[in-house]
Amino acid sequence: MEHASVIFLWIAYLLYAGTFAVFVVQFLTKSPTLTRVGLVVAAVGLVFQTLAIIFRGFSAGHVPFVGAYESLVMVAWSIVLVWHVLESFTRMRAVGLYVLPVVLILLTVAWVEYKPPVQLVPALRSDIVILHVIVLLIAIGCLYVAGGAGIIYLIEEALLRRRMAGGVLGRLPSLGSLEKLIYHATLLGLPFLTAGMLAGIIRAETFNVPHWWVDPMVLLALFAWALYAVLLWGRMRADWVGSRIAWLALTGLVVLLVIRFAAVPYLSGFHTYGG
Amino acid sequence: MLVVVTGISHKTAPLELRERLALDEDGSLRVAQELLDGGAACEAVALSTCNRTELYMYGRDSLAARQAAVERLAQHAGAAVGELEPSLYSYSGDAAIAHLFRVTSSLDSMVVGEAQIVAQMKAAYQQACEGGCTSVVFNRLFRHALEVGKRVRTETAIGERPVSVSSAAVELALQVFGKFKDHTVLIVGAGETSELTATHLKAHGIEKILVTNRTFGAAEELARRVGGRAVPFEDLEGHLAAADIVISSTAAPHYVITRERVERSLRHRRHRPIFFIDIAVPRDLDPEINRVRNAYLYDIDDLQHVVEQNRGEREKEAHHAERIVEEELRSVNDWLRSLEVVPTIATLRDTVEQIRRAELERLGGKLGDLTDEQRAQVDMLTASIVNKILHMPTVKMKEVAGSEECYVYVDAVRTLFDLSGNGAAPDGAADDPVPDAAADDHAAADPPDPPGATVHHLRGTGTDNA
Repeated sequence: MEHASVIFLWIAYLLYAGTFAVFVVQFLTKSPTLTRVGLVVAAVGLVFQTLAIIFRGFSAGHVPFVGAYESLVMVAWSIVLVWHVLESFTRMRAVGLYVLPVVLILLTVAWVEYKPPVQLVPALRSDIVILHVIVLLIAIGCLYVAGGAGIIYLIEEALLRRRMAGGVLGRLPSLGSLEKLIYHATLLGLPFLTAGMLAGIIRAETFNVPHWWVDPMVLLALFAWALYAVLLWGRMRADWVGSRIAWLALTGLVVLLVIRFAAVPYLSGFHTYGG
Repeated sequence: MLVVVTGISHKTAPLELRERLALDEDGSLRVAQELLDGGAACEAVALSTCNRTELYMYGRDSLAARQAAVERLAQHAGAAVGELEPSLYSYSGDAAIAHLFRVTSSLDSMVVGEAQIVAQMKAAYQQACEGGCTSVVFNRLFRHALEVGKRVRTETAIGERPVSVSSAAVELALQVFGKFKDHTVLIVGAGETSELTATHLKAHGIEKILVTNRTFGAAEELARRVGGRAVPFEDLEGHLAAADIVISSTAAPHYVITRERVERSLRHRRHRPIFFIDIAVPRDLDPEINRVRNAYLYDIDDLQHVVEQNRGEREKEAHHAERIVEEELRSVNDWLRSLEVVPTIATLRDTVEQIRRAELERLGGKLGDLTDEQRAQVDMLTASIVNKILHMPTVKMKEVAGSEECYVYVDAVRTLFDLSGNGAAPDGAADDPVPDAAADDHAAADPPDPPGATVHHLRGTGTDNA
C-alpha cells in the first residue's frame, strides 16, 4: 500500500513537472494548444495524486494529514484541484505558470520530510479534527490560487506601466480577468476558512485547550481571515478594484505561508503535530 | 506545360502605377478570357488587390504566355509595354507556384500576416472558375493554395498580433479589461486615428461611445460616423468619470487632461480602471497620469513600440510559414508531374500488368497439369489481350500529347483507372506502390468463381489457342 502510494505520488510529481514545462513553452510560444495539453496532463497528475493519498490513507489507517509529508501532499493536492475547478469556470490559463511551481515546491519539501505512516495520536482521533483539517486544506488551496493570481496581476500591471507590453500581450490573462479570479477564489475560500476555523475553535473549547486564543498561529489565522474579509467587502462595494485587491490577496498569501512554515513548526503550542 | 505568373505588386511598383493596373471584377475576367482566346494559355486567373495585380497562366510556352499577359496589362492600363517592364516580375514553374502559395499565405503582403488576401484570392479564383477560365490544373492548384493559406494561419501565429496603431491600442485595452461589456469610450478631439480606434473598439463589442471636441459641430459629425453621442467639451471631467477608455487626439499645444483631473475622476468612478490612449502630437495627456493607481496611459510612441514588437514576431513566424510553403510545393509538384503523358502511359501499363500477373498467380495452383509450354502460352495470351486493350488508349494519348488539352485526358485516365497522382515520376513509375494496391482491389472485387469452373475455363482457352 505504502509503496503504491509513493509510486503514484512520483508519477503525479513527474506529470506536474511536465505540465510546468509545457506551460513555460506555452508562455514563450503563445500556443493555445499547449495550454490545453498542459491542463490535461495536470489533470492526469491530479488523478494519480488522489490515488496516492487514498493509498496512503489505507496504509496509515486514517485520513492522511499527520506530519509534514502528509499535510504538504494534501495542500498541493487541494491547490491543483481548486485550480482546475476555477479554470473550468473562468478559462484562466496562465495561472498554471504560478500554480505548478508552488505545487512542485510543496511536493519537494514533502519528499524531504517523508516519514512512514504513523498511528493517530489520541488527541487527533476526532471527527471534528478531521473536518477542521480537510476544510482548511480546501480553503488554503483557494487562497493560494488567489495569491498567485494577485502576484501575476501585480507583475503584469508593472510591465504594462513600464511599456513592456510584449512580455504580456498574448501571454498573460487580462488584468480584468485576473482580478475576477482573485475575487472568485477568495469568495470560494473564505467560507471554508471560516468553517475550518470554527471547527478548530469548537474543538479547542470542547477539549479545554488552555489559552488557545493567544496562540500565535490562531492570531495569525484570525488576521488572515480579517484580510480576506476586507478584500471581499471592498470588492463588493465595487470601489476596491484592481491593484488593491491584488495586494490584499498577496498579503493574505504571505500570512498563510508564515503560518505554515514559521508558526506551525516554531511558534504554535498545540498545532505542532499538524506539521 | 508550365504555370506562369506575371504582375506588379507593392514591392515593385508605386501606388500610382498599381492604381492604373488595378482590375475590377469584370476586368479580371475579361483579361483572363482574352488570354485564353489568344491561345497563350489554357487556364488563367487574374488577381487584383490594392497591393498587386497579377495574372496566373497555365500554358505550353512560358515566354509567349508572359508576353501575352504583359500586353493585356499594358493595354488595360493604357500604357506602353516598355513603361510596365521595369515594374514587372514573372515566375514560371516551381517559382510561380511558390509565389502563388506565398501570396495566399500573406507572406508577400505589405503587412505580413494580414487576413484579407485569402478571401481576395478565393474571390479571384471563383470568378475565373465560373467564367470558365480554369480547368484541371488551376482548379486543383488554387484550391491547394487556399488550403496552404489556411494552414499557415492555423499552424503559425503569423496573424495573431496586431500591427497597426489603432489595433494595438485595442489589444492593450483588452489586456486591461479582459472583455468589453458595458465599457464606455470617450473620444477627445476628432482625428482619423481616433475614429479608426473607435471603430475597432466597436467591432470588439464596445457600445457606448462619447465624442467631445472644442467645436461641438465636429464632435457631432464624428459621433454620427462612429455611432456615438456628442457631449459638450466643458464637462470633460464628468465624462472622464464615465469613461473606461479615453482616446485623445486634439491639436491643443498643452495637456488637455492633467493628473489632478484624472485623480478626481477616478474618485468619482470608485477607482475603476481607465485606459488612456494619447495619439496627439504634441501630447494631450500628462505623462504623470500613468502613475495614478488604476490609470494606464499609452502615447503614440508606446503604441508604435508595441506595433514594432508585433511586426518582429510576425517576421519570425514567417520563417515557419515559408517552410510550410516549401512542403506544400513538393506535394503539388508531384501531382503536376503526373499530368505528363509518358509517365501516365507507363503507370497505366504497369498497373494493368500487375493486375494480369496477380490474376495468373491467383490461379497458379489450379494450372497444375499444364506443361511449361502451355503455361507460356497462357502467359502470352493474357499479355496479348492486355496489349490489345491498351493499344488504342496509348495511341490516342500519344496523339493528344502535343495538344493543349492533353493534360485533361491524362487526368481523366488517371481518374478512371485510379492511378495515383503522386510519385509517378517517369523513372519511379515501377516503384509506385499504388498499382499493387489497385491490383489487389480488382482481385478482391471479382466474385470468387467455383474452383472447378475457373480451371476448366482456363484450360479450355489454353487448348483453343494451342
